[in-house]
Amino acid sequence: MSHVTLARPVGRLLRAATLATLLAGTGAAAVLAATPKDTLVVAWAIDDIITMDPAESFEISAGEIMGNTYDRLVRLNIEDPSKLYGDIAQSWTVSEDAKLYTFKLKPNLKFASGNPITAEDVAYSFQRAVKLDKSPAFILTQFGLTKDNVEQKVKAVDPTTVTLEVDKPYAPTLVLNCLSANIAAIVDKKLVESKAQNGDMGYGWLKTNYAGSGPYKIREWRANEILALERNDNYHGEKPKLPRVIYRHVKEAATQRLLLEKGDADIARNLTPQDLQALAASKDIKTTDRPKGTVYYISLNQKNGTLAKPEVRQAFKYLIDYDGLGKTLLKDIGIVHQNFLPVGLLGASTDAPFKLDVDKAKELLAKAGLSNGFKVTMDVRTVQPVQGIAENIQQTAKRAGIDIEIIPGDGRQTLTKYRARNHDIYIGQWGADYWDPHTNADTFARNPNNADDAATKPVAWRNAWDIPELTKQTDAAVLERDAEKRAEMYKKIQAEFRDTSPIAIIYQMNEVAAYRTNVEGLRVGVTSDTTYMFNVSKK
Amino acid sequence: MSDAAPSWHDWLMSDRPASRRQAALGRAYSGWRTFTRNRLAMAGLAIILALILVAVLAGVLAPYSPYEGNLTTSRLLPPSWAHPFGTDDQGRDILSRIIYGSRITLFIVILVAVLAAPIGLLVGTAAGYAGGYVDAALMRVTDIFLAFPRLILALAFVAALGPGIQNAVIAIAITSWPPYARIARAETLTIRQTDYIAAVRLVGASPLRIVLRHVMPLCVPSVIVRVTLDMAGIILTAAGLGFLGLGAQPPMPEWGALIANGRNYVLDQWWVAAAPGAAIFVVSLAFNLLGDGLRDALDPKAER
Repeated sequence: MSHVTLARPVGRLLRAATLATLLAGTGAAAVLAATPKDTLVVAWAIDDIITMDPAESFEISAGEIMGNTYDRLVRLNIEDPSKLYGDIAQSWTVSEDAKLYTFKLKPNLKFASGNPITAEDVAYSFQRAVKLDKSPAFILTQFGLTKDNVEQKVKAVDPTTVTLEVDKPYAPTLVLNCLSANIAAIVDKKLVESKAQNGDMGYGWLKTNYAGSGPYKIREWRANEILALERNDNYHGEKPKLPRVIYRHVKEAATQRLLLEKGDADIARNLTPQDLQALAASKDIKTTDRPKGTVYYISLNQKNGTLAKPEVRQAFKYLIDYDGLGKTLLKDIGIVHQNFLPVGLLGASTDAPFKLDVDKAKELLAKAGLSNGFKVTMDVRTVQPVQGIAENIQQTAKRAGIDIEIIPGDGRQTLTKYRARNHDIYIGQWGADYWDPHTNADTFARNPNNADDAATKPVAWRNAWDIPELTKQTDAAVLERDAEKRAEMYKKIQAEFRDTSPIAIIYQMNEVAAYRTNVEGLRVGVTSDTTYMFNVSKK
Repeated sequence: MSDAAPSWHDWLMSDRPASRRQAALGRAYSGWRTFTRNRLAMAGLAIILALILVAVLAGVLAPYSPYEGNLTTSRLLPPSWAHPFGTDDQGRDILSRIIYGSRITLFIVILVAVLAAPIGLLVGTAAGYAGGYVDAALMRVTDIFLAFPRLILALAFVAALGPGIQNAVIAIAITSWPPYARIARAETLTIRQTDYIAAVRLVGASPLRIVLRHVMPLCVPSVIVRVTLDMAGIILTAAGLGFLGLGAQPPMPEWGALIANGRNYVLDQWWVAAAPGAAIFVVSLAFNLLGDGLRDALDPKAER
């Protein structure tokens, strides 16, 4: 608790220190607080957390907490995230017809509560996730699991063996990748059921409590204030080096920077490129980064006759200043990327054939009979760096004669318009829902029904891009059992996408964490679930 | 030649003007003399004249294009001889953007004045002259508009009409007429009791004619003063809307939008927000000084 009660005086001290720094230049370096040796303090905006229940949690910062506190059958290898390793599963087999998965658990596992982990708990966790049916449940239900059949499909055969039956011969990589997601986290059946009320499977209780077996356990969560993790002494693997991790909710990047500089925080997570640039000179602070699974793109609505011309689609790809953006607006926060699969996913291509080439774009426009240019609107969310990129594209497009009128709006306005296919050009992002290439292929290269009243509304549909051929290829890739062949299929789909799509991928998000030099072993995870604090130590 | 000027002066300052024109000109001249004695007001006037000049000659004065920059070579450069106010995050010259931005500021100010002042004047004089139910109804409407915080009401209008410079102007105009109505009504209440109004009425003039020809001209000076003093507020409201992304849209170099853009860089690249901030400050101050001077010069009750 001491850290919590400390927070206020420290803040005041900090303000005083800031003031002193402002007044006296560098003279205030003497006021240095330090975090306790056995505690890691992370300054992060954690106001997106709404629940601690892995069956419901689908937010960025909550994802990291789940990753550190709950075990699952398999985990991503964080050095090479296209590979997996067994977490509580010792081994697994896939049946001949690729429909039955059998997992053998490691022996003598225990939850943080002291209860043993059995196959029964694994089956219960999956059944619970499917039955509660919260937003991330689709990751499991896409394999044909429903509320009615889940008890037959996921079964404990004996105390250390559990089986999962899927409805189609999916690529095993897809199924296993999905099982590494938080939705497949293992919860303590006995504990959760003892807290259940009116058959809610502990849903009300687990929102703010903990029933897992991961390296850390959740000690306390106070919304928009603090989240404290404590070492789990029953953990089956190597125990975390630090007994405690405290996440402090700090909304402003500038405040995070000051906390880090003064030693009141060990790690800062939401720094802006400007902050990072300024911190680069500091000898007390280092940074580490990792490309994440989110790609940013502009897309042209094919309902607009002008934008539907193949030459125009191609021209836009030559009107983005990839290089300039990468070196300036996206420095530290993004890497230029021109394929819909983010780097790190199975089969992701790194080919980047496009660069800013106004003459080439003009040539293409002339071929389309638009040498005099045209006017078009672009819906832009008023956040950085999206707005800056939009303004830059507006400038470069102008040089080719295209007049782009920017229509600003907040996220909901622009997204609503986009989902209704009422836009001309949209600039936005897509984050991978789970760590498998299908998550992005499904939205960018699959459009089973281009009608206005289609049930599913992937990115391709939102831009009215009718692609029966690519859809077939994407569907086939889901069922390819050989991982290498599957990767090749995705490479082919990406190549065709690059050439023909009305969607220009601009960059892949890069997450940067800044930390004090006495922190060791910090590695930003490739997904939000895989930033592992249990590998971190302090000198 | 040497005695031509004094004779003009004598003619204008004559105690017994021979024509209506001489009287009007004489009155304007004495107002101008009062005004010139106020140094600060003259400074304000000079700044505003300079602003108009800059706006008109923007194409000639701006050293670079306000819309095109280069990300790789000229992004976020500190002030230097090549870029006196530095460059912004898109690599555009800030001086050029401020120069072109003066057009937008002037456009907003003039349009608001042209839209809001007549509405206020009309509502105020009509209410004051008619009295009774008309007065009560019009003034309650005015009260309702006065009760809203100005920026919030403008925000609501812009949210309903969609962002853009025209909508911002309409929103500001709609929110800024009530004070003029109040002033005009107060003036009208004293004017309608005067003998010459009674005389005009006896001659058979219609109420419309009386309001337009005999009441309104007398309300104009105080409204002008009030409008000038409000200009600073109008500029700030427009800048506020621009800052919130609801006024001028990119790439238009509206000053408030320029500050919003510089906000992200305020810790390390201070010049991005500093120059447009200074521009807004100087012009707002100039309008305030001018308004003060005008009040002294136009106030009919002040001693001459």
